[in-house]
Amino acid sequence: MLDWMVWTVPTALVFAGLAVLLIAMTVWGRISPPVARRGFLRIETDRGDRLYIGLISAAVVLAGWIAITDLSMWLALGCALLVAVAIGIWG
Amino acid sequence: MTDQTTVAQSPSGAAEPAPPPAEEAKDARVDPRPKNNRAWWLVLPVVVSVAFTAVIPLMTVVNYSVQDVFSPSERIFVGLEWFREIARDPEVRGAFVRTLLFSAQVLLIEIPLGVAVAVAMPRRGVSVSVALVLVALPLLIPWNVVGTIWQIFARGDIGLGGWAINNVLGVNFNYTLDSTDAWLTVLVMDVWHWTPLVALLAYAGLRSIPQPYFQAAQIDGASAWATFRHIQLPRLRGVLTIAILLRFMDSFMIYTEPFVVTGGGPGNATSFLSILLSKIAVGQFDLGPAGAFSLLYFLFVQILCYVFFTVLTRSGR
Repeated sequence: MLDWMVWTVPTALVFAGLAVLLIAMTVWGRISPPVARRGFLRIETDRGDRLYIGLISAAVVLAGWIAITDLSMWLALGCALLVAVAIGIWG
Repeated sequence: MTDQTTVAQSPSGAAEPAPPPAEEAKDARVDPRPKNNRAWWLVLPVVVSVAFTAVIPLMTVVNYSVQDVFSPSERIFVGLEWFREIARDPEVRGAFVRTLLFSAQVLLIEIPLGVAVAVAMPRRGVSVSVALVLVALPLLIPWNVVGTIWQIFARGDIGLGGWAINNVLGVNFNYTLDSTDAWLTVLVMDVWHWTPLVALLAYAGLRSIPQPYFQAAQIDGASAWATFRHIQLPRLRGVLTIAILLRFMDSFMIYTEPFVVTGGGPGNATSFLSILLSKIAVGQFDLGPAGAFSLLYFLFVQILCYVFFTVLTRSGR
């Protein structure tokens, strides 16, 4: 039935990861409601905002990396995750 | 303590009476009772329809962008190869710069011009309806018709505009041969088509400003410019946010009008991202590279919209 969507294992894992992330954030928000604060981004964000900004920044790191250098994309993924985590914690 | 400081620091706190205690309590989140969130189920139809029309197709695009697909059963996983190819393609980079430049010019012209038109529009009487209809007219015309109108209008032989520039002004103007002329034609066309939207939004914003503000300005002897700068412009922040977002997104994704007028030419002078994308996706049917292209395109639009939105909504706080 989903043949036309031409799924692959890596893309399925990415989307499953995103879905898990959203569900986890919902549950977390239910247990302890998010509090908005200011970090190095200098704008008021709660943890959902920082997750969004972090994911987009990670995508920018990956896209910039692939446009500029031939170094391994695993290294890029590492940097992207670091950026996302840094924004999530201190952003 | 926190709620006290919030109230004291609120910018409107000085002019307005303090909020009632109930609101204060809500602000401080002291109400321990769980809220009834069942109304969220009413959003379900939207979620389903958006999933059907946007999320699932987008997932499919992601899947296509990492494969070379001949048919659902014949496909090869290529990893990030298409992204590499697209991100380094000089044609794509050229189109990106061109589109960005076009959007910047569109915003720089249309936003001030739209506000100026709105300020100049009449406030009362029959002329209000006449002005509104006249201003709104370009918005009612379908995109491809706008393209056709300008395609003919700007021609040097049979178009009134092109003929006048060539024969009355004596300037050699030919948008099918000269890239600057083609660019100007598309830009002026967009200004003609979409400034009315900015003007109508700004007009609505201006009309919502209470009269006492103007009376106070008059008593203080404020000049027209001071009234505009300190009363009208700050009060337009909301509508201008919407106008800038709409005009940025629309101009960054412009397709139909340049496609009809210039077809991306001459050469690739007006080949914007969307024109190049549809050439790859529909013309050459390279769905893998087109998928990668659209995702990068989408990422960029997301970022700029988020930045615009954040800057414009939070700068007032």
